[in-house]
Amino acid sequence: MTVKRRFEIVVYLAFVVLIMCAPLVLDPFWLNRIAKYLVFGMLGIAVALSWGYAGILNLGQGLFFGAGAYMLAMSLKLASATSLQQGSDKPVPDFMLWNAEPGAPTQLCCINKASFLWLPFQHQWFGVAMGLVLPVAIATIIGTIVFRKRIAGVFVSIITLALVLLVRLVVIDAQPITNGFNGLTDLGWFRIADFEFDPYIVQTYYLVAGALAVVLAGARLLIETRAGLILQAIRDDQNRARYLGFNVPLYQTFFFAVSAGIAGLAGMFYVIVSEFASPTFMDLAFSITMVVWAAVGGRSSILGACIGAIIINMISATVSETQGFAEAWKAIIGLIFVLVVLYLPRGLAGIAHDLIDRFIARHSPASRLSVSATDASQPAE
Amino acid sequence: MLEILFIGLSLGSILLLVALGLAITYGAMGVINMAHGEMVMIGAYVTVLSGIWLGANIFVAIPLAFVVTALIGLLIERVVVRRLYGRLLDTLLATWGIAILIQQAVRLEFGLSFLGIHIQGLGPGLQNVSVPAVLQGTLFVGSVEINRYRTFIILVTAVLTAATWFIMHRTAIGMQVRAIIRNPKMAAACGIDVARVNALTFAFGSGLAGIAGVMMSGFKTVFPDMGTSMVVDGFMVVVMGGVGSLLGSVFSAGILGEINGVVAAGTNDILARAVVFGIVILIIILKPKGLFALKGR
Repeated sequence: MTVKRRFEIVVYLAFVVLIMCAPLVLDPFWLNRIAKYLVFGMLGIAVALSWGYAGILNLGQGLFFGAGAYMLAMSLKLASATSLQQGSDKPVPDFMLWNAEPGAPTQLCCINKASFLWLPFQHQWFGVAMGLVLPVAIATIIGTIVFRKRIAGVFVSIITLALVLLVRLVVIDAQPITNGFNGLTDLGWFRIADFEFDPYIVQTYYLVAGALAVVLAGARLLIETRAGLILQAIRDDQNRARYLGFNVPLYQTFFFAVSAGIAGLAGMFYVIVSEFASPTFMDLAFSITMVVWAAVGGRSSILGACIGAIIINMISATVSETQGFAEAWKAIIGLIFVLVVLYLPRGLAGIAHDLIDRFIARHSPASRLSVSATDASQPAE
Repeated sequence: MLEILFIGLSLGSILLLVALGLAITYGAMGVINMAHGEMVMIGAYVTVLSGIWLGANIFVAIPLAFVVTALIGLLIERVVVRRLYGRLLDTLLATWGIAILIQQAVRLEFGLSFLGIHIQGLGPGLQNVSVPAVLQGTLFVGSVEINRYRTFIILVTAVLTAATWFIMHRTAIGMQVRAIIRNPKMAAACGIDVARVNALTFAFGSGLAGIAGVMMSGFKTVFPDMGTSMVVDGFMVVVMGGVGSLLGSVFSAGILGEINGVVAAGTNDILARAVVFGIVILIIILKPKGLFALKGR
């Protein structure tokens, strides 16, 4: 195993070095795009953690992504210079002013019935904190209820799916405070101390890339802890783990919440680089698309799922700009997906692992034993 | 109030129409067919195309859509689903891929738009189907005003549900399907050709979705993406009713339809849908096996 492990560390490091070196060759426009793909890579990690490692196929990951995105976007909306220029001395989101009833005070406190909810978001760090706290809190509540009731498999997927659609509808319906279908646009820049993270500068790219590296390493280390190993035991056989005396719902809820937190973080970074938050984040299609990325990259590999997300988005952006392929590309994605499920259940990471195993087996006879122990179902990275 | 209840009933019957096919494929085969919504969409497009090409109305489109979607269902089962039995979540993902493929195929007019060939009626645009004069307007039953097309939908649903019940409970093949729902391995051991029955079940479920699509085309715009929300709704009904229980699907479709109708009348459509999702979540949490769970699976 040691040879294999060294291999993995090299691969992880190579990936981090690669994303860190991207600014050397790319212009700001492309850096901004790559930063978006890295955010999607972070989502891939979240999916791999809950699906590949906890065995929970969350079809509502977009809920957590959207929650993170909206929370930060509310703060950045109030930091936007243009919303200050709408005839109010205090920042009030422009859409509230447009929709305000005649005679309503142009203050966040009372411009409409629920606008006071925006008050704490005048501090950017409140938005950031909520972007993490809200997804984790929602996931903890759902997880506690669902896993205690021993709801598993497809029923968890249905609950998460229904939940994301429910929240999406509520956000759309709450037009006066969320701007409904239009979402929050025209946002200000994220700032740390006095530094403003313009989405098209190299520092913003490093912010995202650095965060991805941290999340990647963190997730990888987390699954190697005792808790992570117990989680995988639960995924493989829930009842066995229960008989062994482990508090199954606790572990499942914890990792579900961690996955939600990562998705919330990704939502915030997405807002920083793309300057909007929209109810489309909570579309069913988007949540399933995340699952597709992880499936193609390899759901039981943290790095695999991350790279899967990045690669698919890169290819899809390039191809969809080619004349005539804009729509066909989606069909190709659908086809790839069917083929991956049918013939490559372990995704690209599965191929990579097989290659590495074969390479090791050929070059060091001593490790042959450990290689044969890594059977197909075992998600050894 | 009676009008609202009637609207709820018609909403429920549409839900049931979509859910019926899902209920038997999920119940009998353990397959979550995310491409079911696309079968609805194809059914709707069959109505559009048969109107343009054949000058046929909705009544002709019903058997036509059934045949077309059943054949497509058969094809999907043969090529993809067959290899995934026993891998529930994988069927969900693979059929989602198929759903995207079908959506884009319709949008790209079966890929012919690349060759510069245009099929009238297909493509990314919106389509409307005009309903025959018989089904337009309203009836008065006493003082209650009843929309004719809604009544027609309720009737069609009732007939199809009865037919499905009859096939499931009064025919040899239906008995085989029920045996497979209860215990697929035991059924196979008793000499039932599970692969054949599965293929037929899948085709029949797809055909029902096709008919749902015909009904849908009469009051909704037809467009390539219309299927996604339907499969979600249909699936909610199936899960809430209890997997494999026809009766459960009928009841939960009725309940959800009425809730949707009543809440929509009091507030708006968006909130009504949200309330429906909320209730489904609650019911799955309280009764994970559904309202009418089969025992002894």
